[in-house]
Amino acid sequence: MRQKFHIDFIKNSKIFFCISLGIMLVCLVLNIFLIPTRVDIQFTGGTIVKYSYSGDIKEKEISSVAQKATKDTITFTYAENLASSDSNSHLVSLEFTNSKAITVDEQDQVTEAFTEAFPKNNFKVEESSSVDASKGANFFFKCLAAVILAAVLIIGYVAIRFKKIGGMSAGVMAVVALVHDLIIVYFVFAMFNMSLDDNFIAVILMILGYSVNDTIVVYDRIRENRKKMGPKATTAEVTNASVNQCLTRTICTTITTMSAIGSVLVVALIYNIDSIISFALPMMIGLVSGCYSSICIAVPLWVKWKDHSDKKKAEKEQLKKSAKKSSKKPDEDKKEDKSDKKSQAKQTEDKSDKKSEKKKVSVEK
Amino acid sequence: MKRIGKWVFFVVFILILFFAYTSVFGIYSEYGDYTITHVKGIQDIRWGIDIKGGVEAVFAPADGIDATDDQMNAVKSIIDLRLVNQNVTDYELYPDFSNDRITVRFPWKSDEANYDPGEAIKELASTAQMVFRGGTEADGEELLTGKEVKRAYVSNIQTQNGEHQTVVNLEFSSEGKKKFADATSKYLNQRISIWMDDTVISSPEVNSVIEDGNCYIEGGSNGKGGFSAEDATALANKINAGALPFNLKIESYGTISPSLGTYALTAMGIASVAALCFIFLFMCIMYRLPGFVAFIALLGQLAISIMAVSGYFTVFQSFTMTIPGIAGMILSIGMGVDANIITAERIKDELWTGKTLDGCIANGTKSSLSAIIDGNITIIIVAVILILVFGPANIFSALFGVSTTGLIYAFGYTLLVGVIANFIMGVFASRLMLRSVSGLKFLRNKRLYGGKKKS
Repeated sequence: MRQKFHIDFIKNSKIFFCISLGIMLVCLVLNIFLIPTRVDIQFTGGTIVKYSYSGDIKEKEISSVAQKATKDTITFTYAENLASSDSNSHLVSLEFTNSKAITVDEQDQVTEAFTEAFPKNNFKVEESSSVDASKGANFFFKCLAAVILAAVLIIGYVAIRFKKIGGMSAGVMAVVALVHDLIIVYFVFAMFNMSLDDNFIAVILMILGYSVNDTIVVYDRIRENRKKMGPKATTAEVTNASVNQCLTRTICTTITTMSAIGSVLVVALIYNIDSIISFALPMMIGLVSGCYSSICIAVPLWVKWKDHSDKKKAEKEQLKKSAKKSSKKPDEDKKEDKSDKKSQAKQTEDKSDKKSEKKKVSVEK
Repeated sequence: MKRIGKWVFFVVFILILFFAYTSVFGIYSEYGDYTITHVKGIQDIRWGIDIKGGVEAVFAPADGIDATDDQMNAVKSIIDLRLVNQNVTDYELYPDFSNDRITVRFPWKSDEANYDPGEAIKELASTAQMVFRGGTEADGEELLTGKEVKRAYVSNIQTQNGEHQTVVNLEFSSEGKKKFADATSKYLNQRISIWMDDTVISSPEVNSVIEDGNCYIEGGSNGKGGFSAEDATALANKINAGALPFNLKIESYGTISPSLGTYALTAMGIASVAALCFIFLFMCIMYRLPGFVAFIALLGQLAISIMAVSGYFTVFQSFTMTIPGIAGMILSIGMGVDANIITAERIKDELWTGKTLDGCIANGTKSSLSAIIDGNITIIIVAVILILVFGPANIFSALFGVSTTGLIYAFGYTLLVGVIANFIMGVFASRLMLRSVSGLKFLRNKRLYGGKKKS
């Protein structure tokens, strides 16, 4: 069997777990103390109006004019207007931070105030959205329900399809990997200070499908190799072989998918289209996370569960036959494992690094 | 393994190129000044308001009044009527009966430079003004207003000839009863007209003096015809709208100017071409011949996706395409080659064991199928949930009401179409092509399939 990679994913699983937990911990601390999560008006309710205008006006002046026209507190964001052919065009977006949707009249007041104060600057509403708070909360719960429903259906499907390798455990671990990815996606939104909106839900659902897809391809190999390699091979051996055989495929598919989303991201960055950036960037990172979590989180965890339940089974059976011999052997195995891990840890750290894996592919081609 | 004819590859290849070309550019013929569309291309796609620019608003009864289903239907019909009056024909209306909400979405009117969407929304939500006038002119005597109408409903009556006829019944309030009796006696055998805002919705002839406050309007003209059930319901709804006991409030609204949207569309176009180019190079370098075949299949997949959106085959309705929809399409391009990658990897594995080329292709395609199916079904699950949950009428309608953002729906739709197209092209067609092309002598070198150097 041609096999390019010989990485012991099972033995190094602790390193992977630590990396994931470490990243999450750092993000969590940052999220709590430095960068608070922003939630879009789609969920909280509120109003955002985006104006375009030409010429140079001091930002302070715009703020004061708008603030005088309404009682609500407004948050201002300024940007260049790249969509316009006029090189000196700007955008200002006004976020009305009270949770109620403002009326059309209130919005008109602000627009009128602008045109009165800056008659030459051609103020125009480019985009506006206004959502009632109750509607927003409703939308949030609907999204949550969609995610939960998808997760349940996926566990169910995996459980049925992979009965032979312990369907339920496989399904649950696939979902653990999923939760890992979803947390990562959430942190991408939080760290880049993008507000949680319907893009967030779309990305979450997409990663849901993608991550499970990756995990399933590996499970499929395990199921096949279980038959081929016979009952003597341990779960860890079968799994390691399967993961390594699938690795090229996983990397290649991730590359093609990343290239598609990546080109969207690059173009969106060049053109400065916020709504697409907040879709493509978390998606990119979610893809990497999805690929990583299937191999480095879901599968090793599944092996641990499998070994644990197998051991219990074996213990029960042996207890029936003879009570004395049962407990020693597994303990010895564990000790050997630990000493091995320490010696190999340094080597494998390099191998587990994504970049070096990609390099390897290109060198061998 | 049974060989597949060498010509199969060329037939499939040309077919895919044909569909890809026509799905993008369409087929048109010019007949004098007219352009006749035979097959719809990209330019016929109906773009969503986030691309074309437009307005979305959600209306609800003011003061938290709990409206009945009939009243909601009435609200819907009045908004319908007003949109048509504003010359907006390409609109979407979603009533939500469980939560008493009505969502309206319509594109920016391209012919008006100074179109004020805020004004348009306000107009839609304004209180309906229904007036009964003598005669059919707008300056006719004002007989009754909507306040004096209790309700309108559809029923079937038997005429003197014994025929069944659908009619619209009117019930008046006690005040309206008196006024209507006076009006019918004054305008006996003449016409009175019912005005909604500034439009005549019906102008029946008075056949008898009606004193009990119950009358019905027969359809048709000059004694002929009669209402179709739909027309009758539409009229009843309109009259009910004029008699609504509550005002509408604008619960949420959004507007996008067209310049911002078309700009995003150009960006997505560039992105998809760039993605295709990269994938072409990547697949050809990584997987050589199977990679090339995979790319052709990918073009086919993309063509199917575009067709499903543009209404290429008239049996499928055209679909409103939004930016997330395009994102879903681009994503399915990226994932589309996955099936081919899995298969090509398997074929490589087989080749390294030193079997014959045909055997390797047969084994490789066979062993990779279960992974492809299992993997794609999970994506189908996600896509279907997106469609069912975020569609106009959805499985959670009873719990959460109709959705305000239909944008995610488009994402789910293009993703689902992409996966299905992937089964047709990436699995079925590309296998056919690969097995056929492997019959060509000059393409039988194992290296072209990723095998060892010496063989």
